[in-house]
Amino acid sequence: MSDSRTPVSDEAFLDAVLDVVIPPGGDGRMPGAGTLGIESIVAAAVAVDAMLGPLVRAGLSAVQEAAVARDPNGFTALTPAARLEVVEAAAESHPFLMLGLVRYLYPAYYAHPRVLAAIGEPPRAPFPEGYEIEPTDPLLLEGLQRRRRA
Amino acid sequence: MPNEPVGVLIIGAGASGAAFAWSIADIGTSVLCLEQGPWMKQKDYPTNGLAFEARGMGEFSPNPNVRQLPADYPVNETETPISPLMFNAVGGSTILWAAHFPRFTPGDFRVKTQDGVADDWPIDYETLEPFFAINDRMMGVSGLAGDPAYPYHEPPLPPLPLGRLGNTLARGFEKLGWHWWPSDSAILSREYEGRAGCINLGPCTTGCAQGAKASTDITYWIAAQRKGVQVRTGCRVREITVRADGTADGVLYYDEEGQLQEQKAEVVVVACNGIGTPRLLLNSRSPQHPNGLANSSGLVGKNLMHHPYAMITGIFEEPLQGRRGPIGCSIWSHQFYGSDPSRGFVRGYSFEAVRGLGPAQTALLGMMQGRIPWGAGHHDAYARLYDRTATLLAITEDLPEETNTVTLDPELKDSHGIPAPKVTYRLSENSRKMLAHGVERAKEALTAAGAVDTIVDPLMRGAGWHLMGTARMGTDPKTSVVNERGQAHDARNLFIIDGSIFVTAGGVNPTSTIQALALYVADSIKKNVESVFEQP
Repeated sequence: MSDSRTPVSDEAFLDAVLDVVIPPGGDGRMPGAGTLGIESIVAAAVAVDAMLGPLVRAGLSAVQEAAVARDPNGFTALTPAARLEVVEAAAESHPFLMLGLVRYLYPAYYAHPRVLAAIGEPPRAPFPEGYEIEPTDPLLLEGLQRRRRA
Repeated sequence: MPNEPVGVLIIGAGASGAAFAWSIADIGTSVLCLEQGPWMKQKDYPTNGLAFEARGMGEFSPNPNVRQLPADYPVNETETPISPLMFNAVGGSTILWAAHFPRFTPGDFRVKTQDGVADDWPIDYETLEPFFAINDRMMGVSGLAGDPAYPYHEPPLPPLPLGRLGNTLARGFEKLGWHWWPSDSAILSREYEGRAGCINLGPCTTGCAQGAKASTDITYWIAAQRKGVQVRTGCRVREITVRADGTADGVLYYDEEGQLQEQKAEVVVVACNGIGTPRLLLNSRSPQHPNGLANSSGLVGKNLMHHPYAMITGIFEEPLQGRRGPIGCSIWSHQFYGSDPSRGFVRGYSFEAVRGLGPAQTALLGMMQGRIPWGAGHHDAYARLYDRTATLLAITEDLPEETNTVTLDPELKDSHGIPAPKVTYRLSENSRKMLAHGVERAKEALTAAGAVDTIVDPLMRGAGWHLMGTARMGTDPKTSVVNERGQAHDARNLFIIDGSIFVTAGGVNPTSTIQALALYVADSIKKNVESVFEQP
């Protein structure tokens, strides 16, 4: 653990925070966000967001500082309950921390093949296979035929 | 080397510019289109990859202020509750549109006569009808003939399947005895003229990787180029130049390398949308036109109309497979179209059913609505929303008001130093009442369809797709910018063909009507060549 690094570039730290934001599901079906290797996607997006980026970095710094105050080994050394407390406090004092984080975390998380499979979607891009959808209900069409303009 | 003069110069390669180009090519003169964006490639569209939702919020966002691509110009949107949306490329905003393709109704052209507000159009539905039909064939429209809300017309292709989500919503409308009909959609329900049919990718609004959705780069422009029309991309027009008599002379534009170029033309046609067109006209000041080109009425940039949208999302207990299928095309309803004095507002609105959100959009909507927390409760809350939502959009008829404007921003400029547009827009009390009515009726429809809860966005900010009215048509030069043939009152060889020339907005998406108008203007030029082109 190296909590002296900037929080966004510290992969282990960011993974641990992301795992608090989207923790593993209780039944083991949904993976935690920190286990998917998507922290670099989030970090890269935050780095170039001129509006939300600084606010997220400030919030993460607050998390980091509060964690070190509790344990010199930093955030990853804290218990799950303590991690949650620290993140909740930072989210309270930095209102744009979560907004900025999930703006990039959710698209990355819900594009991951493991997550797509877990929510019942084929773990692939929409194109080229596409999808099947139900045909129009014939009973509905019959009703329209009665009302249609000649 | 100077550019060769052309017969017809079109500025903008979007919905209207493409249709016009294809038609006007018949007169046999040289036709050139300048477009500030590039040609798009279907292999680059987001649905080719897993990160399609993330890319749809970035480089494929409909908001140019978010995208900030080289082809984009900034829009000052600080004084409007509705963000103007557009895309700059060959195909224009049809690259990202949903392709929901209603026509205006006959009554939409007679608002003053019917309700004593706004103005009547100088043309009517019957005049445009043949051009609607041509346009349907050129774009490839799927739909079911016989909608009682319209004069009879036959879309060239059978309707798209409603899917489980559309069937569910339609049953709700049936239960209430309300009008509904499968949407006319500019999306192919089967193979058509060399284009493949829809395979239900979902987010049409990030570009169609299949090519089933009709963006004009793969419809009109293919055909127009076969007729000899030239398209020059990466070219941003700075101003339209004029002759001593005030008629249009051509343009000055920045080419792909940023070099200022001059292009002379006998006829100049502006097709830059309801924001880009007034911006260009206002930037084209000259001693002959000191307030901007074609602006002797002072109405260039005024009367901006959107379609203010309310978004009402129903939450259902069963999966709807809603992410699959064209997002904006399943059913529409005209149950509350047109005026009814008992409702407390004039004119009306349509409903457009929207299919379900993708995985990430569901999470973000849930977060913004306070329905999906981060942390321990995330997964359970997410499971209650994902694939269990269906949305109705109330598309309300905005009335023209001179105080809703597009002006030149005194400070903001694009990457070439050209003054950027500023939008100043206030939602009228009439529109506000209409939106509130639409929210309540949509809740009824969704509940009838089986929704157990609803989420309401009473005025969508990110919904300024439809940009109309800022160079309105009319017969009186004092109260309009162009005549009934799209010809500027102040310059006989200048035409405007996009949504700017709309007199009123209707309560449905405008692209079908924009394109029919563009074809009509081209046709009227073809029939009146002598009065438009200079005689030797």
